[in-house]
Amino acid sequence: MSNTKILIVDDELIMRESLAGWLERDGHYVQTAASGEAALEMLKNTRFDIFLVDIKMEGISGLQVLRKIRESDPDAEVVMITAYGSIPSAIEAMKDGAYDYMLKPFDPNELGVLIEKIIQHQEQARENIYLKEQYKERTRFESMIGQSKPMQKIFDLICDVAPMDSTVLITGETGTGKGLAAKAIHTNSARRDGPFVTVNCGAIPEHLMESELFGHQKGAFTDAKETKKGRLELGHGGTLFLDEIGEISMRMQIDLLRVLEDRVFYRVGGTQPIEADFRVIAATNRNLEAAIKAGSFREDLFYRLNVISFTMPSLKQRKEDIPLLAEHFLYRFSQETNKPINKISREAMDEMMLYDWPGNIRELENAIERAVVVGKQREILPEDLPIFCHESPPIKSARSLKEVEKAHIEQVLAENQWNMARSAKILGIDRSTLYSKIKRYHIEKVA
Amino acid sequence: MSSHDAHSIIVSPVGEFAPDLLDLIRNEIKRIYGYPTDVMTLLDDLEFAFHAGRNQYHSTPILEQLALRAPAGAVKILAIVEVDLFIPILTHVYGEAQLGGKACIVSTIRLNEGHSSLNTQEPFLGRIVKEAIHELGHTFKLRHCREHTCLMHYCRDERDVDRKSDQLCRYCRILLDDEIKRLQKS
Repeated sequence: MSNTKILIVDDELIMRESLAGWLERDGHYVQTAASGEAALEMLKNTRFDIFLVDIKMEGISGLQVLRKIRESDPDAEVVMITAYGSIPSAIEAMKDGAYDYMLKPFDPNELGVLIEKIIQHQEQARENIYLKEQYKERTRFESMIGQSKPMQKIFDLICDVAPMDSTVLITGETGTGKGLAAKAIHTNSARRDGPFVTVNCGAIPEHLMESELFGHQKGAFTDAKETKKGRLELGHGGTLFLDEIGEISMRMQIDLLRVLEDRVFYRVGGTQPIEADFRVIAATNRNLEAAIKAGSFREDLFYRLNVISFTMPSLKQRKEDIPLLAEHFLYRFSQETNKPINKISREAMDEMMLYDWPGNIRELENAIERAVVVGKQREILPEDLPIFCHESPPIKSARSLKEVEKAHIEQVLAENQWNMARSAKILGIDRSTLYSKIKRYHIEKVA
Repeated sequence: MSSHDAHSIIVSPVGEFAPDLLDLIRNEIKRIYGYPTDVMTLLDDLEFAFHAGRNQYHSTPILEQLALRAPAGAVKILAIVEVDLFIPILTHVYGEAQLGGKACIVSTIRLNEGHSSLNTQEPFLGRIVKEAIHELGHTFKLRHCREHTCLMHYCRDERDVDRKSDQLCRYCRILLDDEIKRLQKS
């Protein structure tokens, strides 16, 4: 049974009925209207996919009905029904957006083919919209993975901030995904079709920074054999992402401040002012307010950059995203290395959930990459993880994390008379994790 | 008019047809729908449905007349005619049926490619039987099926009819069984 809704608009009862009966047998949902007026009235309450409209009708003509349909529902298709003498009107209807016209009486095969063609065309159009939406959804927060509340907040914030053209300052620990957030803002902004140019302020030596940012004229200095556009110029029409902005020298801070104020600069060795239209997103893991106090960062530049700011949560603050992220990285690295590792063992996942990840997502990514490389089984085991290796052997002189954990579990179990459910709840882990820890640490119930 | 069994499907020829054809249709009705059949003349001529301008017969009023003349207890009526049929919006039809109703009709003229209705050669015989069973399917609420081999598949031309099988697909079979059960309960 098709889901296609068809409305037949014809003032001749016999035409309406014969056509409706025929199309119903094809499994379509068919309704009829005896006039243009009746059809427009029905349109107010029901949506139809296909309209078969007689051109010549008393009152509102078929052409007027066609125009009204095109106005109210551009996705619906209209086929005009015409008698031999009305072909010029049918051609006019085609100009007004009718899908096709049919001469009465139709060959039953032609009718079937036409209806099928329209249904396929509409299905394809819907599929295209769906694919586009899916693509947009995927690329909206490209590679930003997270279902945790802190990440959902970040996604909402990105959605709010992206359409504005204001400068954004993203703070957060190393490896929290500040660059991905910047890219997501760009992708969701009106500048999405423009370039996204990254300047890693911490990675470019100071003496190259000026040329890198502003470009240079041929002959401006010994190695300037060609005129080269700088990153600011390359970012025209798009977004300039200044990563690790806290690492920029005081001298460059002055130059950058001037550019951000005037949007005009000169290439090194150049005399012609260059205007560039770009949005600035800056990111840092440093506390810039502390840097201002320490005299290593200009307060005026900070305020110029800090129009809108937000902090990326650390992985410790969004531990519930670890399984999702780990699976994502596992898939990526197993594909890249062509190794048949497709699972993370329960024990390995428990280890990852208990670890604090000071290096954040980047550290998790590296850990999974290493595990995939060294792993011998089809699943990642705790011993494949660098975090697990780092924990042992226990340090004799002080209590290791493991010892502390073991003692704590023993204490909670004793306090709760070995009630597993309650103990697991207090420890913030699930029961199966608690069982595996009891086994691993050889914890025994003391009578 | 001859007597008939209650709860049978009436096969009603209008004109003269080869006995082999009628037998084959009756056997197929029994095989697919499970009902016994009776052959009965319900309409002597079709002049009331003739359209001089088109030189064709309008199938819809024929169905209405057949339904009105249905004997008590007749489950469905299948009329077989050798004239060219039409419905007003279409140039021609092989047949027509009242969807979920009492009557259906099939014309042999196009399926027979203009041969006499007494012709019982293949592939004409098989085509007519398939389309008769197909039209009858509509009266049991079956709609056109997307499965190319199913008897309820809509055929654009004679070759399509030749290509489809003489069986209902699994899906149409289930729908038909449901409808027969419903009819038997009511």
